[in-house]
Amino acid sequence: MLDLFAYDFMQRSLLAAAMVGGLCSVIGVFVVLRGLAFVGAGTSHAAFAGVALGYLMGWPPLLLAIVFGLATVWITGWVEEKGRMKLDVSIGILYTTTMALAILFIGLMKTYNAEVYGYLFGSVLSVTPEELRIIGALSVLVLGFILVFSKELYFIAFDQEMAEASGVPARQIFFLLLTLVALTVVVSLKTVGAILVFAMILIPASTAYQMTHSLRTLTLYSAIIGISTSVAGVLISAVWDVPSGPAIVLLATAMFFISLFFSPKRVTRAAAPHAH
Amino acid sequence: MSDPREPIIRFDHASFGFPGLIALSDISLTIYEGEFVGVIGPNGSGKTTLCRAVLGLLAPVQGHLHIFDCACDKLRCYHRAKIGYLPQKGVVDRNFPVTVLETVMMGRYGALGLFKRPGRTDHAIALEALAQVGMEAHKDDALGLLSGGQQQRVFIARALAQHPKVLILDEPTTGLDITTQHSVIELVQHLHHQLKLTVLLITHDINMIRSKVDRLVLLKTRLFAAAPPAEVLKPEILHQVYGKELVITENDLVIVEDYHHHH
Repeated sequence: MLDLFAYDFMQRSLLAAAMVGGLCSVIGVFVVLRGLAFVGAGTSHAAFAGVALGYLMGWPPLLLAIVFGLATVWITGWVEEKGRMKLDVSIGILYTTTMALAILFIGLMKTYNAEVYGYLFGSVLSVTPEELRIIGALSVLVLGFILVFSKELYFIAFDQEMAEASGVPARQIFFLLLTLVALTVVVSLKTVGAILVFAMILIPASTAYQMTHSLRTLTLYSAIIGISTSVAGVLISAVWDVPSGPAIVLLATAMFFISLFFSPKRVTRAAAPHAH
Repeated sequence: MSDPREPIIRFDHASFGFPGLIALSDISLTIYEGEFVGVIGPNGSGKTTLCRAVLGLLAPVQGHLHIFDCACDKLRCYHRAKIGYLPQKGVVDRNFPVTVLETVMMGRYGALGLFKRPGRTDHAIALEALAQVGMEAHKDDALGLLSGGQQQRVFIARALAQHPKVLILDEPTTGLDITTQHSVIELVQHLHHQLKLTVLLITHDINMIRSKVDRLVLLKTRLFAAAPPAEVLKPEILHQVYGKELVITENDLVIVEDYHHHH
C-alpha cells in the first residue's frame, strides 16, 4: 500500500481530500449550529448547475459554480431575513429549480461529457495540479475568514438577535457565513461531488456535536473527523478500487453512528439531576 | 416630572412597527439614569417592541428615540454595546454546545469589535460577571445541563459582561418555579443597587415587582401610564388596559376576579 504514496496523483488526491475534509467540517460547525443544514444541499445543486452551464457554453465551470452558488445562498438569506417564507421552503424551491437547470443544460449538450458527471459524483483521484491550487487558494481564503470572524460566527450561530443587540454586525456576518458555505461547496465539488458535499459539511460537525459541550472543542473535533475520514476514504478508494466520494461519506456516517452510541452527552443527559 | 438625574432613554412621540401595523404608537417617555422601571401590559401590548427599540433593533417609523446622547433614528448605533439584554426564554437554544464561560464571554464581543480576540482582561470581566450572579463555580459546565434558573443567571452574567449602563430583561421569570422567580428578581434588584444600573424589566407579574421598581410603564399599543406603582395600580387605570375582571385586593394585590365565584 505504501507504494501508492509514490504516485503524484495519489499525493494530490490525499492533499485535496485533507483540505476539503478540513474545510467542510469546520464550516459545517456553523452550518449545523445556525440550522442551515439544508442550505448546503441546495447550494451544491446550484453550483452543479453552474458547472453544467460552463461546459455547455465553454465558459470556466468553477467560476459559474461560484456565481450560481452565491446567488442561491444570497437569495436564501434575503428571503429568511425578510421573513417572507420559511428557510426550508425557499431553499427547497431553489434546490429543485437549479437541479432542473442542470438537467436542462446537460440535455442541451449534444455529446456525453464524463467530466460533468465527475462534478456530480466526485472524482478525487483525478484532481489536476491546477485544480489542487484552486482548492488550496479557496481553502486558505475561507479558513482565513472563519479564523478572523470566529467569535462573531459563533455568536450569530448561538443567537443572531442577541448578537445584533450586543453591537455585533450580525446581518453582515450571517451573509458572510452564507458566502463561505457557497465557496466551500464549490471547492469540494470536484473531490466529493455535488450530491455528497452536503454530507461532508453535515456529518463531521454532527459527530463532534455528540462528543462535547464546548464550542472550541466542537470545531477541533469536527476538523479532526473531517480530515481523517476524507484521507482514509481516499486510501480505501485507491486500495479497493471503489468510488472515493461514497467511501469518504460512508466512513464519516459510520463514525457518526458510533459517536451516537458512545456520546458523553447521552450519558450525562440521562444521569443529569434536575437541579435548581 | 422634574428629576435631577440624567435622562438616558427618551421617546419623543415615537411610533414603531410597519405602516398599517403599528405595534406602539405615539410614545413619549423619558427614563432616567439609575431608574428601575417595570414594563407591564397584556400580551401583544408592545412590551417587547419597546425593548427592541431601545436595543436599536427597530427604528421609529414616526417621532424620535434618543438613547444616551444619540438620536437613534438610524439603526446600528454604537450605543448597543452599552445595553445588556436578556431575551425571552425559549428564544435561545438551551442545548447549544457551549460552556457557561463561553456564553458569558460572548457579552464581550460587541464591545471588543471586529478583528479583536478576547484577552485576559475580558476573561477576568467574564469571571467577575459570573461571580456577581453567583455562578462562578459552574464556569466550565455545559449551559444545556443547568436548570432554568441557573441559565437565567448565566444570561444575566452575559449581559453584565458588556459592562452595560442599561439592563433590559424580557420576562426573565417565565417558566421558573416560584422560589427561583423571586431569587432572579432579587438578583436583578441587587445588581440595580450595586452596579447603579438602569433596569427595564418586562413582566406579567405585577405583584412580584411592584415593591421593587421605581416606576411602572403600562402599555397597550400606546402608553397608558408611567408613574410610581402606587399611582399606576389603580382600578380606573388598570381597567382601561386589562378590562374589568382585574381587581385590587385589600392587601394591594392585583388579581383577576374569580368569575365563577362572583356569579
